[in-house]
Amino acid sequence: MGVVAADVRRAGSIDQVAVSVKDVGMAFGDVHAVRNASFDLPQGRFLTILGPSGSGKTTLLRMIAGFDRPTSGEIFINGQPVSAVPPHKRAIGMVFQKLALFPHMTAAENVAFPLKMRRHDARTIPEKVERYLDLVRLGGYGDRRINELSGGQQQRVAIARALVFEPDLLLLDEPLAALDRKLREEMQLEFRRIQKELGVTTINVTHDQREALVVSDEIIVMNGGAIQQKARPVDAYRAPSNAFVANFIGVTNFLEGRIVELTSTQAVFESNGVRLVGIAADAALAAGLSCSGALRAEQIRIAPRGGRLDDLETVVDGQVVDCIFEGDRVVYEIRVPDLAGVLMRVFDHDPESHLQFGPGDEVRLGWNARDMHVFQK
Amino acid sequence: MRAPRAAYPLTWRVMDVLERLAAIVWPSSFQRGLPYLMLMPALVLVGLLVLGLVQIGDTSLRTLDTNTFLMSESYTLANYQRVLTESFFATVAGRSLVGSVIVTVITLLLAFPYAYLMVRTPSSALRKFLLVALFLPFFIGQVVRAYGWLIILGNQGMVNEALGLVGVPPIRLLYNYPAVLFGLVQYMLPFAVLMLAPALTAIPGELESAAASLGAGWTRTFRHIVLPLSRPGLVGAGLVVLTLSLTDFAIPAILGGGTQDFIANAIYDQFFRTSDQGMGATLSLMLVAVGSMLVGVVFMLFGAGTLAMTGDRK
Ligand SMILES: Nc1ncnc2c1ncn2[C@@H]1O[C@H](COP(=O)(O)OP(=O)(O)OP(=O)(O)O)[C@@H](O)[C@H]1O
Ligand SMILES: [Mg+2]
Repeated sequence: MGVVAADVRRAGSIDQVAVSVKDVGMAFGDVHAVRNASFDLPQGRFLTILGPSGSGKTTLLRMIAGFDRPTSGEIFINGQPVSAVPPHKRAIGMVFQKLALFPHMTAAENVAFPLKMRRHDARTIPEKVERYLDLVRLGGYGDRRINELSGGQQQRVAIARALVFEPDLLLLDEPLAALDRKLREEMQLEFRRIQKELGVTTINVTHDQREALVVSDEIIVMNGGAIQQKARPVDAYRAPSNAFVANFIGVTNFLEGRIVELTSTQAVFESNGVRLVGIAADAALAAGLSCSGALRAEQIRIAPRGGRLDDLETVVDGQVVDCIFEGDRVVYEIRVPDLAGVLMRVFDHDPESHLQFGPGDEVRLGWNARDMHVFQK
Repeated sequence: MRAPRAAYPLTWRVMDVLERLAAIVWPSSFQRGLPYLMLMPALVLVGLLVLGLVQIGDTSLRTLDTNTFLMSESYTLANYQRVLTESFFATVAGRSLVGSVIVTVITLLLAFPYAYLMVRTPSSALRKFLLVALFLPFFIGQVVRAYGWLIILGNQGMVNEALGLVGVPPIRLLYNYPAVLFGLVQYMLPFAVLMLAPALTAIPGELESAAASLGAGWTRTFRHIVLPLSRPGLVGAGLVVLTLSLTDFAIPAILGGGTQDFIANAIYDQFFRTSDQGMGATLSLMLVAVGSMLVGVVFMLFGAGTLAMTGDRK
């Protein structure tokens, strides 16, 4: 019933902005944990904030939840400025990194807590608690104490507790970080399923790029307190807006050089005397400036020395330094003498050709110009 | 010659000799007895205590012959009868009991915010200040502190002098029940804070943030989360304050000025003023009984598990 209500609520307000962050900054003394962060998040979307440790993700989330007040800028929830609204007056469900379940209550009491605190009709509470425990597949576990549940089950109690009062916004602060990989991947899909089912606007924080790509409608990449890029996962991956994003998501090779020629879309640069062509991905590029070309490890094809890579626009020769078997792929590390001996990483996913090269083998690498993104250095 | 000595230093040789000696005195076949051996000091202490109690029990059954000042040879329950019938003893017992309960309640009320602030404040300077302010009275000692209160609260004390400046006639602030309770609270506060602080530290701050995000304001977070989770600390601190103030001697003696005796003062009088050891022993046993009963009641109300003394992880 509530699930249906949530759907209606969502359908009625499609594309309405749920959260709007405007020029928000947070300084702890001299430390600028977040600087000038701005973004809008439409209703019902799943946003993931991705960034290395210390990049300000938790700080940003805590400001949205209301635990910390921004030192500059303003946050709007459903169009209303919320800086002066204390956390318990905001309709935000949060799943904490360490879960923060109440140890002196049972699973059901934990889930009932927000309903009691928000003065829901006492007669409807047991039924709602049961429905949300079912939603996270914990039906029948309501009477267990928290310390009688496994890690993954506790995780799901925390999710049910954050969702049961049908908040406008769900915040997740790396709640999966502590789980083992298999359970984590299961829970990622679970998050996705529940979020789709309820249509609740969600902001998830992680430093796991795979998780960000798998679960999100949109990704924000942060570094040093500043937002680097906001994009759909596929765009953040395929068209990173700067070298940091290119480096942080995926496995990327960087080829350093100097711009020799620039059109509106293409950048031609010279690296150690070799002419390389790529997409001009950075507005600040100019002829004569030093630059770096970013190239994903999986965009490079590998062939034996003298092999035909005719369909590819750029071809260089190299020597295998190392090869690492990772099950579904082989990672080659290849030294390229023509490019000042740079080490390039190349994925080989072809099951037929697995481990066809070993250390010391002479090989040939090739790629297309459209896969090389050129940024200012 | 030098090389082997460096490789096997003198201290190791000494240790070897000691170990060999130890093996003679305590062969490894005795190893399993070691834990029991380590229990011995505690058992000896408790055993001595029991012996003392038996002795006191024996004395409590004899009355004082006021002519010869000797204890009677035969056993009698006369002392117990006197304690239970004479109103003086009932007054003292009632005063001690009621007083220690009041002191416990007030102390916990004052200690809780203090401990909470000390544990939760983000400012390490404030935390250090609170800790130092807490420990300072410990260095002064109970008797000296009580005399300090005499100086401050006496008829010519600082408080009355200050009142005199604004034209208020001197008020009798000492030698009454509130003065004793006041002194006791002040004495007990550090104990209570020190027992509460670890219990509060054990509550993750994130639980309070979580409660807030789930819709609980400050008061309800306190009532539903902080208070229930700090129960072990509250029960522990309460028991310590209750028993310490029930059995306290110096504060009622000094701040009560002989008019506000607690049980311990009455016992002292029997032993050292009237030399009625029988009566003193009886009162001592009554005190032990009342104290144990109180602790028993607390355990029954809250369960011993609240002291975090259950075997498994909390
Ligand atoms: N209360 C605070 N006082 C001072 N500095 C702080 C405080 N909280 C965070 N910082 C600093 O702000 C920066 C961002 O911290 P934040 O916790 O937001 O990082 P994060 O992106 O969540 O990192 P992680 O992935 O490790 O959780 C860090 O440099 C941190 O040291
Ligand atoms: Mg964090």
